[in-house]
Formats: sequence, structure tokens, C-alpha cells
Amino acid sequence: MSTIKIEFAVQMRNEKCANEIKRVLTSRLGEEGQIEIDTKQGRVIVETNTPWSVIQDTIESTGRKAVLSGFGGQSAVALINTTGSVVDRTPVQGVVRFTSITAQDGGGLVVDGVVDGLKPGLHGLHIHESGDVSQGCASIGGHYNPRQSPHGSPQATQRHAGDLGNIRADPDGRATFRFIDPLLEVWDIIGRAVAITAEADDLGSGNNSQSLIDGNSGERIACGIIARSAGILQNFKRICACDGVTLWDERNKPLAGKERSQKL
Amino acid sequence: MLRTVLISVAFCAALSAAANARNTPMEAIAYVIGPVQPDGSQVSGNVTFTQNACGENVHVRIQLVGLKEGKHGFHVHEKGDLSNGCTSMGGHYNPDKMDHGAPEHEVRHVGDLGNVVADKDGKVDTTITDPVISLTGKRTIIGRGLVLHELEDDLGQGNHTDSKKTGNAGGRVACGVIGVNSEVDEWPCRDGGAGVLKQSMSVLALIIAVFIARGI
Repeated sequence: MSTIKIEFAVQMRNEKCANEIKRVLTSRLGEEGQIEIDTKQGRVIVETNTPWSVIQDTIESTGRKAVLSGFGGQSAVALINTTGSVVDRTPVQGVVRFTSITAQDGGGLVVDGVVDGLKPGLHGLHIHESGDVSQGCASIGGHYNPRQSPHGSPQATQRHAGDLGNIRADPDGRATFRFIDPLLEVWDIIGRAVAITAEADDLGSGNNSQSLIDGNSGERIACGIIARSAGILQNFKRICACDGVTLWDERNKPLAGKERSQKL
Repeated sequence: MLRTVLISVAFCAALSAAANARNTPMEAIAYVIGPVQPDGSQVSGNVTFTQNACGENVHVRIQLVGLKEGKHGFHVHEKGDLSNGCTSMGGHYNPDKMDHGAPEHEVRHVGDLGNVVADKDGKVDTTITDPVISLTGKRTIIGRGLVLHELEDDLGQGNHTDSKKTGNAGGRVACGVIGVNSEVDEWPCRDGGAGVLKQSMSVLALIIAVFIARGI
């Protein structure tokens, strides 16, 4: 089974709110999704193989804020917000989440993300060896390749460990994807970086030397460092102790600086 | 004669095993950055971490610009997840459920790195050595978050209610995620004990060799 549990913090006043959330989730996920709602704690846990972004949008369609607070077991997240050498200025923005599936459930790594601002069509997705973003995507090194293999497709036996194939952007420039990589584990990639390329990755079948290096996938147009994140029921933090910003306000606040201040 | 040869072979084996464990320093880097302020200033810089072998001290080189002159609290947070700002990063990295403290205290969070001091130009360029953080094993700081604060961390000595939790260092001026920055493909001593085990095995081999040689 490739389903995982995803936890959201949701502002719910009473059972009526909870029932409405249950109704929209059930109609979106059908029989596939298991839904647990704790109204008192403001917690919704869904066991599913649907992308997290779709579930978040579904909950928020009821007019309430939903904040993802736990993803599977041991998990990681990369904010795609870096380009060339300018941080936070790229038109390409996204969030990619990762979690390992236990061996008894078939193993593998869930790669689940949403990226906006792309040219419609295919773009390569690769894990790079270094998490050094001090020079933007230029300093993250080559594809993560501990076995010194040639570049290849995710299904190939000969591939870089970091070769995750292509993602497809829709006509609006958004790529929503969820797949299971058979090779990687989440602890292999924490602290490294994930990058998206300008062109499609030919998966090593391009009949030239560059194809066996990066699949002729062109420039790295956006990247982000892969950070440790919380699994379900691991992070109960609702307020930032240092400046009083709550879970619900974080989305509208910068990460640091004066504009965060809530304490007067 | 045979005995001397055996002993020297065993010695060489032990020495080379120890050298192997040592000649792969591990490095990590956090690129920290804050928002552009109304006066156009911006806090940014690199914090690099080097550890020569499993279980050894970590040397932290801190190079920052754009700060206000004075002390600024400096902490490793449990997660590097900035997807929901500060709340998704969790608290200070504190696997032993200790009170907040100074880096040199017995009682401290693993993530308590004290203060950095900015000069009158707002620059920091310093190296600190910390015996508690690690780039490997269960206590690794790889993938966790690094936060730089507006004010001085009181190191758990203040009267404020937050002193024992956070050091009451005010808002955040910059943050970053600690990333891998080594040629090392397989991070050694991931379980926190493999390197030590390898060394103790070579010592054991040496002792056995000596015993065998004596027998001969």
C-alpha cells in the first residue's frame, strides 16, 4: 500500500464544522481515504495516496484555514524558492514533501509536491548532492550519485540515486505530482537539495554524452534545500515563542524581521 | 622474528583504521538570510560546520553581515521546515528535554549555541567549537533549522518566564537550513556508533594478534 497519513491543523469550532470537513473530504477521496477528525484539538488526519496539496485545498474549500502539521513518519520538505543566485525572487515557487514508506508496506519514498510558475510541459526533477544554497542553485553540486552510475530514468537499474524523472506542468504553469521512488530513503536526502530544470529530462536515452550526465535537461530554474520536517503527531507548536506569531498567521508573515512582530 | 612481524602488522592495521576514521572530515553549511529592511539592509551570511570524526567537537565558522551591533541569540531548531514559518520548525533542538542554557553549561538544549557578537559595522566573523552538536548519528543537526535573533540570549539566567525556554532573545532576524556540504557520499557513523566500533575492533584485533604472537 502506498498510502500515508497526513495531519492538518484546522480551525474548527464545533461538530458541525467537523462534519462539513468530513463531507467534502469523503466526496473528494471516495472510499480510498481514511479520515479521523479531532474537533477539540483542531486536528484532521487523512490516510490517503492523494497529493497533500489537493487535501489541503479540499479542507480549505469549506472556508477554514488548514495547515499541514505532519506528513507520514520520518519526513522532509523542500521549499522551492531559490534560483540562480537570488533567493526568494524566483517566479518558480513550490513545496515538495518526502516520506519513506516502511518495508512491510512495500518500501520506497513518497515524493509529493506542487510547483507554480513553470513553462507548460515536462521539467526534470533531481536530488543534488549538496545542500549549499549560498550561491543559489549553482552551488548544490551534481545529481546525488553515491554509486558513480550514469544518469537514467527512475525505473532504470543504472541511474543516479537523485534521478526522479520528469514532472509535468499544466497550461497554467502548475505541476502537481505524487509518485513513489523505489530507490531512495528520506534519511539519504535530508540536508541535500532538490532542483527543477528548464527542459525535459531525456532519462539518459538522448544518444549523447550530456544525456548520461543530466539528461539534457538544461538550466536549473529553481531549487530548495531538503529540510527535516515533522511526521504526524510530532509537532504541537501553535505559536512562535519569540514573537507571538500563531500557526494561522504564519502564511501571511515573512520568516524573519520586523513585520513579524505581534508583541507590542 | 615472526612475533615481531605479527605485532608490527597488527599495529599498522590499527593505525590505518584510526586514520581512515579521521581523514574524512564532515562539513555542513547553512546559508542564512533575513528580509530586506526598510533602510535597505539585510542580514545574510554563511555558517559552516566541520567535524573531523564521529563524536568529536564541531567547529562552527560564522560569517554574517547586516546585523545591529551587539549580541544576538543563535539556535538550532528541531526541524528545518519553513513551510509554515516558525511553527513548523518546532522549538530549539532539545532531544534530552533539558532547560535552555549557555553552550558551556551542562544543562542546555543541544541546539543552544549562545550568542554571536556583531561589530560596529554589523559584521560577524568568528569560529566557535561546540562539544554537543554533531553532524552524524542520532544527534545530527543536518536538515535542521538555524535561527538568528534580534536580541541577546540571556542563556537561561534571566528573570523573564521565557528565559528557561528560549533565552528571551526577541524576534528573528534571519534563518536557514543546515545542509550537507561534503564529498562524503555515505555519511559515516549514521547510527552514532559505527566509527567508534571500527576503532575498538582494531584495538581488539591488535590485542588478539599480540596474544597469538606470544603463543608462537
